[in-house]
Amino acid sequence: MAYKCTRCKRNVEIDYEYTGIRCPYCGHRILVKERPTTIKRIKAE
Amino acid sequence: MTMEVDILELSERSAKFILSNASAAFANGVRRASLSDVPTLAIDDVNIYNNTSVLFDEQLALRLGLIPLTTDIEEFVPVEECTCGGAECPACKVSLTLSAEGPRMVYSGDLVSSDERVQAADQNVPIIDLKEGQKVVLEAIAHMNYGHKHAKWQAGVACGYKNMPIVTFENCDECGACVNECPKNIIHIGPNGAEISGDDILKCILCKLCASVCEIDAVTVSEDEKSFIFTMESDGSYTVQQLIINAGTTIKEKASRLGEILESL
Amino acid sequence: MLPVRCFSCGKVVSNVWEEYKQRVAEGEDPAAVLDDLGVVRYCCRRMILSHVELVDTLAPYQ
Repeated sequence: MAYKCTRCKRNVEIDYEYTGIRCPYCGHRILVKERPTTIKRIKAE
Repeated sequence: MTMEVDILELSERSAKFILSNASAAFANGVRRASLSDVPTLAIDDVNIYNNTSVLFDEQLALRLGLIPLTTDIEEFVPVEECTCGGAECPACKVSLTLSAEGPRMVYSGDLVSSDERVQAADQNVPIIDLKEGQKVVLEAIAHMNYGHKHAKWQAGVACGYKNMPIVTFENCDECGACVNECPKNIIHIGPNGAEISGDDILKCILCKLCASVCEIDAVTVSEDEKSFIFTMESDGSYTVQQLIINAGTTIKEKASRLGEILESL
Repeated sequence: MLPVRCFSCGKVVSNVWEEYKQRVAEGEDPAAVLDDLGVVRYCCRRMILSHVELVDTLAPYQ
C-alpha cells in the first residue's frame, strides 16, 4: 500500500516488521494514504 | 357547489391562493401531492474521478444532490417506471459533468449538462470553495424520482394551507382591548365597533386572543371548513403554476388507477 | 460550507450566503438583509444566522 509522508512529501512503503509507521527518509511519523486512481461511485444522499 | 380558486399572488417560484368549496381531504391531497408525488430530476449517483477539496466525496455528493434541476415532466420518467427496465436510457437519466481547479468558488452553474433542458435552477448555488491547487473532477448522474423517496426530489417547498378565518363582532362596546391584543394588528375600530377590513382577514392566524380578551364576549372566531388559504413554493424545478397542475394530475392519475383496480375485482 | 437547503422546509438557502455575508460585513442589519433576500421563514433564517464557515479553517490540512 502506497503512503505519502506529510513532511518530506515522498512516497513511502511501510515495513511493519522493522520500522513500524515511520518514513524511512526523514523519520516523520505522520503518513497519509494516497487516493486510488479508480473512479469512485457514490450515492448522493 | 363547484370548487373555486382565487389567486392572490402568483410568481415564478411562489403562489398564494384561496381554494373554496373544497373538502379538507382534497386540500390536503393537493398539499401532499405537491410535496411528495410530483417527480423531479435530482443528482442521484456521482462518479468521482478526483477530489482534493476540503469536503469528503460523500459531502460533495450530498450537496450536488440537493441542487434543484429544471425538469420537464413530459420528457422524463422515474427509472423504476421507465420502459428500459432500469438500464438507464436517455428518458430516465441525465449526466452532468463538473471539472474545476482552484483557487475559485465552484457554483451550480459550472455543472455542464448533457441535455440542455436540464440545468441547475439556480446558477449561483455554491458547491465548494477550492483553494490553491485543489481539484474536483466528477460526473453526476441525475435521475427522476418522487419526494417521498428523498427530499432532494421534492418539487414543492413549504406547501401549506389554513382554513379561511371568520371573525365576527356583535354588540361591540368599542373598548379597544382586542385592537391592542391582536398580534397581526388587523382589528381596528370602525363606525359600528371593532372590525377587520378587506383582505386583512387573510392575515388572521386564528389565535383567538381577541375573543379571550373581550370582556363581553362580543368577538367570535371560527373557521370556514370549506375554504383554504394555500401558500406554495417551488424549489425551481418547475414553476409554481406547473407544480400545482402536476400535483392535480398525479391525484387524478392515482384516482383513476384506484378505479381500475376496484373495477377489476 | 453552508448547507444547500434549509433542513426543515427544503428551500435553497446557500445561494444567498455570499451576498448576506458581504452586506452584513458592510454594516447592514442582518434581519433586513434576510428579508430583502427572500429568506422569510424562521427555519431558513436560522440556517444562515447560525452558520459557521469552516472551509478556510480546514483548507491548510490536506
